[in-house]
Amino acid sequence: MTEIVLSDVSKRFRLPDREVTALDGITETFRSGSFTALIGPSGCGKSTLLRLIADVLPPSTGEIRIGNHDPAIARRSHEIGFVFQDASLLPWRTVLDNVSLPIEVAGKAPARDPRALITMVGLAGFEQARPSQLSGGMQQRVAIARALALEPKVLLMDEPFGALDEITRQRMNLELLDIWKASGTTAVLVTHSISEAVFMADTVLVLSANPGRIAHRIHIDLPRPRRLEMMRLPAFNAVENDVRAALFDDGTRVPA
Amino acid sequence: MTGRLLDGALLPPALVLLAVAVGAELAKAAGLLPVTVPAPSQVLAILPDALDDLLHHAGRTVRSAVTGYAIAAGLALVMAAVALALRMLERPIVSLAVLVDCIPLIAIAPIFVIFIGQGPRLHVTVAAISAFFPLLIGCVQGFRSTDRNMDELFHVIAASRWQRLCKLALPSALPYLFAALKIAAPLALLGTLIAEWMGTDRGLGAMIVYALFSFNVPLAWLAIVTVCALSALAYGLIALAEQRVVGWSRPPDTLAGGR
Repeated sequence: MTEIVLSDVSKRFRLPDREVTALDGITETFRSGSFTALIGPSGCGKSTLLRLIADVLPPSTGEIRIGNHDPAIARRSHEIGFVFQDASLLPWRTVLDNVSLPIEVAGKAPARDPRALITMVGLAGFEQARPSQLSGGMQQRVAIARALALEPKVLLMDEPFGALDEITRQRMNLELLDIWKASGTTAVLVTHSISEAVFMADTVLVLSANPGRIAHRIHIDLPRPRRLEMMRLPAFNAVENDVRAALFDDGTRVPA
Repeated sequence: MTGRLLDGALLPPALVLLAVAVGAELAKAAGLLPVTVPAPSQVLAILPDALDDLLHHAGRTVRSAVTGYAIAAGLALVMAAVALALRMLERPIVSLAVLVDCIPLIAIAPIFVIFIGQGPRLHVTVAAISAFFPLLIGCVQGFRSTDRNMDELFHVIAASRWQRLCKLALPSALPYLFAALKIAAPLALLGTLIAEWMGTDRGLGAMIVYALFSFNVPLAWLAIVTVCALSALAYGLIALAEQRVVGWSRPPDTLAGGR
């Protein structure tokens, strides 16, 4: 069971002249094996929230538990996979060596065969390619394979497909859902795209800015496995509209 | 590919060299050059007789310069790694390096003679001091150049400090390191030359001094040209190694197509 539980978490940053509250009073439970999307205006602290869970930043107040442990313990026992906004591949390593990096660092027998992971993200045959020889979408797939190398219990993704074109993005979304389903990890996805959030997630958390708070929780009741055709269904559009309303309204109208 | 690479790296400087030589030859023939500057043909003419002598002296100089260079590179790498691990030491270390770089070597080399004597150890020391500054700055800058996301990545995968150094900081620093290595190589040679002027029986610096005292102008120039050639060779070899090692830092098509 790898639930992520946040209790009254806040994060303040000290700037030279003032203090900024990036996140305030975040209380949320991410169920084990669930898929949650975080969406909100820029500067609402989505990425910060992800970094708090990953133990990259410490919370100012409140408590975070990952599977009943401190995030630092989860991180050190390699339970966290993180996908960055840009792929952040090491340019001097081949695709295979990039995917193998976490295994190398952890020093344990590969939880997953890196070659099988590369095949899973559809890059078979590119094992020896360098990142600079790959397109943006391919690089991001390598980054996802790398994040999965140690079978993380928690998969955190910071706008992983933000730089991709719509077609590649939808294809990657589908692939990611397959990967998530097969791995059973608890996934948290930060995104700017309403349709991506609705398409992927069980729950969409809409954050408001200044300070960052969870303004709305929207449960997506669309059946799984999700298929691209669903995006044309009235039910899908209705949920999209709910999220849109939550994003742009002043919060007076609470969607169903 | 290697052939094209060599063409690209060697042909332009060779053409420049040829142009300079032809120009100097014509200028000498026209009587435009002073008696202290011989025609390139005069220098070339003494090469067969002077070759053994030249190799005898050049061997010592190269050995001193390479040793000093290697010591400086090792020291710079270690100090930069310390500065990386203990951020508060970065400024003092860089300040020290600036101070060392500000030492007027020509003035201070005679003082070193008193401590170290006139042997190869003096030459190695001065060579190391000459090469140290660009190497240290290159290492420090290089270690600082790691991408912030990659730092976070190594944090998330719980890499140790040592793993970070070997797997992230060092490879990220390589383009900077090679730039520094290229700049420092001729400096190490120059430092050796300065030290050799302080008096030694063997070395290109000594050869120049002897040739000048005996007013053997072509021989002095032969030694000078040899120093230039060695500098250029060192630079070229490091540039070649750079293309091999950090080819990833350039788009692959540029690498394949040479310059």
